[in-house]
Amino acid sequence: MAPKFAPLKDAPERSAASDGGRFALDRALLDALADLALQAARRAGASYADIRLGETLKETAYAKDDRLEQFDERSTRGFGLRVLLDGSWGFYGARRLDAASVAEGVERALENARAVRPIQGRPIALEELPAHEAEWIMPMGVDPFSISTREKADLLLAISAAARDNGADFCTALLCIAREERLFASTFGARIRQTRTRVQPTFTATAIDRAAGRMASRDSLTPARGAGWEYVTGAGLLEEAALAGRQAREKLSARPVVAGDYDLILDPTNLWLTIHETVGHSTELDRVLGWEANFAGTSFVKPAMLGNLRFGSELMTIVADRSQPGALSTIGYDDDGAPASSAEFKIVEKGVFKNFQMALGQAHYIGLPGSNGCAYADSPTSFPIQRMPNISLAPNPDTCKLDDLASGVENGIYVVGAGSWSIDQQRDNFQFGGQLFYEIKNGEIGDMLRDVAYQSRTIPFWNSLDGLGDASTYHLDGTFTCGKAEPVQVAPVSHGAPLARFRNVRVLNTSGGV
Amino acid sequence: MFLSSDDVKSIAKKIIAGSNADACVVKIDGGEDYSLRFARGGATTNIATSETTVRVSSHIGGRVGSVTTASIDETALAAARARSEEIARMLPVDPDYVAPLGPQEYDASARYDDNAASLKLDTLAAQAGRVIEEGARRNVDTFGCASSTRRFEALATSNGLFAYERRSEIDLSATARNKSDTWSGWAGAHEFFGARLDAETIAARACAKAAYNVDPVDLEPGDYAVILEPVAVAELAFWVMMAMDARAADEGRSFFARPGGGALIGEKLFDEKFTIRVDPADPLAPEGGVGWEGVPHRARAFIDRGAASTLYRSRSWARKTDAEPVPAARNFIVEGGETSLDDLIRSVKRGVLVTRIWYENMVEPKSLLLTGLTRDGNFLIENGRVTAPVRNMRFNQRLGELFANIAALGKTERVWRAVGGGAAAAPPMLAEKFHFSSKSSGI
Repeated sequence: MAPKFAPLKDAPERSAASDGGRFALDRALLDALADLALQAARRAGASYADIRLGETLKETAYAKDDRLEQFDERSTRGFGLRVLLDGSWGFYGARRLDAASVAEGVERALENARAVRPIQGRPIALEELPAHEAEWIMPMGVDPFSISTREKADLLLAISAAARDNGADFCTALLCIAREERLFASTFGARIRQTRTRVQPTFTATAIDRAAGRMASRDSLTPARGAGWEYVTGAGLLEEAALAGRQAREKLSARPVVAGDYDLILDPTNLWLTIHETVGHSTELDRVLGWEANFAGTSFVKPAMLGNLRFGSELMTIVADRSQPGALSTIGYDDDGAPASSAEFKIVEKGVFKNFQMALGQAHYIGLPGSNGCAYADSPTSFPIQRMPNISLAPNPDTCKLDDLASGVENGIYVVGAGSWSIDQQRDNFQFGGQLFYEIKNGEIGDMLRDVAYQSRTIPFWNSLDGLGDASTYHLDGTFTCGKAEPVQVAPVSHGAPLARFRNVRVLNTSGGV
Repeated sequence: MFLSSDDVKSIAKKIIAGSNADACVVKIDGGEDYSLRFARGGATTNIATSETTVRVSSHIGGRVGSVTTASIDETALAAARARSEEIARMLPVDPDYVAPLGPQEYDASARYDDNAASLKLDTLAAQAGRVIEEGARRNVDTFGCASSTRRFEALATSNGLFAYERRSEIDLSATARNKSDTWSGWAGAHEFFGARLDAETIAARACAKAAYNVDPVDLEPGDYAVILEPVAVAELAFWVMMAMDARAADEGRSFFARPGGGALIGEKLFDEKFTIRVDPADPLAPEGGVGWEGVPHRARAFIDRGAASTLYRSRSWARKTDAEPVPAARNFIVEGGETSLDDLIRSVKRGVLVTRIWYENMVEPKSLLLTGLTRDGNFLIENGRVTAPVRNMRFNQRLGELFANIAALGKTERVWRAVGGGAAAAPPMLAEKFHFSSKSSGI
C-alpha cells in the first residue's frame, strides 16, 4: 500500500475574482451527476473513481491579408469518468451532461476496466490525496468572450494591415480564446469547481523577393497568456505588427550566417521553447516509467539521477509552479484534485536535478509519497495524464542586462523568438531556429543574420550556461498546444526565462551547410 | 454518438429550415472512439468516448459566422444557428466570399466495416495481449497503443447539397525495448477494416527489431545511402503533400512557387519514379469522397512521375485565380515498384536501414528543408546484409533533393497512421546521399 500523501497547505477557497470571473454552469446539475457517478461506481466495487464534468468554450478568428477567413465559436460540454476496479483503470467520456448518459457512463467505464484486466499485469496503485472542497476562479480583467465579434475581426485586420503597410507582402493574424469550466469530484471526497480563461493573439508577417525566389517571415513575439481581453489590448499588437513587417523585409537581405560554433545569447522569447522541450519533457515521470515510450518517447533522465545529475551549470535553477499570474498552467488544483501548493518545487536547483513532475499513481514507482500536482486532461472526455505545470528558469539575483551578457562575447549570435524545433525521443539531441538573429562581435550586438538554427545536446548545452539576465529581463512565454499521449492531448503551458548566454553552441546555416 | 444518414439529414433539415441567413451550411460529425495503452507488458490507460458535434455556418451579405455545439438538442441547435447569424452580421464583408455548394456527385469510398463489435476495448486488449506475449517470448519489454473508431461526417447546405460518409478505423502500434534499455524496435498498422489488422505480425516485427543485446554502431554524421521503410516514406511524402497549396505557390511562399511568379505545375521537380496519388476507390488507402468545403475528391495524381501535376486550392482562391478547386487530401498513395525490401537491402554496399522517423519539422519551407530523427530500429547494411543496429541520428534533408534521387522503390503497402490521421500507402525506398547532421543518444 502506498504511503499517504502528505497534507499540504490548501489553495484559497476562492480566488479574488474580478470582472469576468465566474462559474457559469448549473452547479446543482453537476453535483447531482457527480454524486450519481461516484455512488454507482462505489456500489459496483470500484476502489476509486473520479469524474470531471464541464464545458470548454473556444473562439477562433483568422484573417489573411484583407480578408477575415474564419470566425468560429465552439462549445463542448461533457463528462469523463475514471474508475479503478480490481487494479485496472476503466474510462468513459461523453459530450453530454444528463443523468442517463452518466449512468450509462458508469457501466461502460466498469466494462472497460474488465476488458483490460487480462493484460493488466501490475495492478494500478494510488496514493490517497487529501479531500478538498473548493472553488477557484482565475482572476482577470475583461472577459474576452464579452468583446464583440466586430472588435475582434477589426483587430485582426488592423494587425494584418499594419504589417503589410510596413514591408510585409502577406500577413496572417489569429486570435484564439478558450475558457475551461470544470467540476472535479472523487471518491477521496474532493469537490472542486474551477474556471480559467486564456487568450492567444498571434500573427505572421511574410516578405517575398520574387525575383530571387526567396521569402522571409517573422512571427509575433506576443505570447499566449492566462488572461482576459485587457492583455490583448495592452500587448501593443499593431506596433509589433508594423515592426514585424519591417523586420521580415530586412531578413530578406540579411547576411547568411556562416556555420560554426558560436556563443549564443538566447532571448526568453526563444529560450522558453528550449526549456519546454529539454527540461519540461525530460523530467516527466510518466516518460521515465515508459508510459509514453510508444509515442512521445522516454527520457535520458533516470530515477537514479534524482539529486545527483549535474543537469546544468550553477546558474541553472528551474522552478515549477501553478501560481504565476498570467501563466497558462496556473490553476488552483490539478486534474487529480491535488492543490497548486503541491506543484511549487524546483526541478533543477543550481544545476542539480531535484524533482520529477508526477501525477496521481506514479510516485510510488520511485519510492516517493505522492503526486506533486502535475495532472491535466485536455477535455472532460480525456483521461488525465501527467502534464507540465508552469516551468521557468529563475533569473539572476545579481544585476545583469543584455549589454553585460554581450560584453563577454567575441563571436556570437543573439537569438530572438521561437522558430522551427525538433528533439529526439529521449530529449537529448535538439535543433531550434528562431525569428530574428543578430551578430555579436567583440561584445557588440550588430547586424541582422539569417538562416540560423542551433543544434546541441541537453546536458552539454545547459552546462555551457555561463551568463544569466536579471529579473528585468525575465519574460513569460508559452503555448496553447503541447502535444502528448495517445490519443493526442493538447495542453497549455507557460515558461518564463531571463536572457541567457550559452557557450560554443553549434550553429547551422539552413540555406547552405546543414 | 454514431448517427445514421437519416438521423443526420433530419437534424440538418431542421436547422436549415429555421435559418434567416442568405445561405446556411451544416456540418455534423461524431462517433465512438476506443483506445488503450500498455507499457512494460501491462495496461496503463484506456478510454472509450462518444461525441457528436454540429457546426452551423450562416452566410449573410458575403460574411460567414460559424458556431459549433456538441449537443443535438433542438434548443441548443436553434441557439447555435441564431448565434452564427449574429456573428455573421457583425463581421466585415469578405472580399473573396463564395456561396455554399449545391448538389455534388461523390465517388464511393469503401472505408466502413459493419462489424462495429470488432472495434471495442476487449478486441483491442486481445491485440495488445499478443504484443505483450511476444515480448515475453523474445525477452524484450513492450509498449504500445491500440485504438479504434467508427465515425460519420455529414455536410448539408441550403443550396441542396447533402453528403454523408462513415468510416471505421483500427490501429495497433508497438514499441519494444531490450531489457538493458539500449535498443528499441517498432512496428504498426492501420486499417479501415478490423479483420485486416494482423497483430501477430506487428508483435513479431517490433520484438525482433528490438532483440539486440549488442552496442549499436556509432556512425559519424554525413551523407549515407538509406533504405527508408514504408512508414518513413509516407511520413516524408506527407510533408510534400502539405506543401502543395496553390495559394502559397502562387504567392511565392512555397517550394512549388515559380521564381518570378506563378506555380511550378507540370514542372519535373522529382525523380521519374516519384508519384503521389489520391483516389477514393483505391483498394489500399482510399480517400473519402467528400473533400473540404464539399468539393469532391477525384482520383488524381498530385505528383505524377516526378512532376507537380496538381496543387490543392480552396474554392475562394480557385475563383480568384480562375482555376479548379481541389481539396487537400489526408489519404494518399506513394507509387512503388516491384522490388522486395530484401532485394533493396541486397543492392546496398553500405548504408542505413531506417524503420521510422520522429519529430520532423520544416526548417525552410521554400527549399522543403526538413529536420527530424531516426527512431526505433536503425540498422547498418554492409555488402547487401543487415549487420548491426546503428545509433539514431538527426537528419537535415531537403525533400526536393531526396525525392529527386530515388535509386529504387519496393512494393507499396498500407502503412501505420494514428487513428484519425488518414490512411497512407507507400513503398520502401532506396535513396543516396541522405544527410545525417548529428548523432543522437536517444533510444
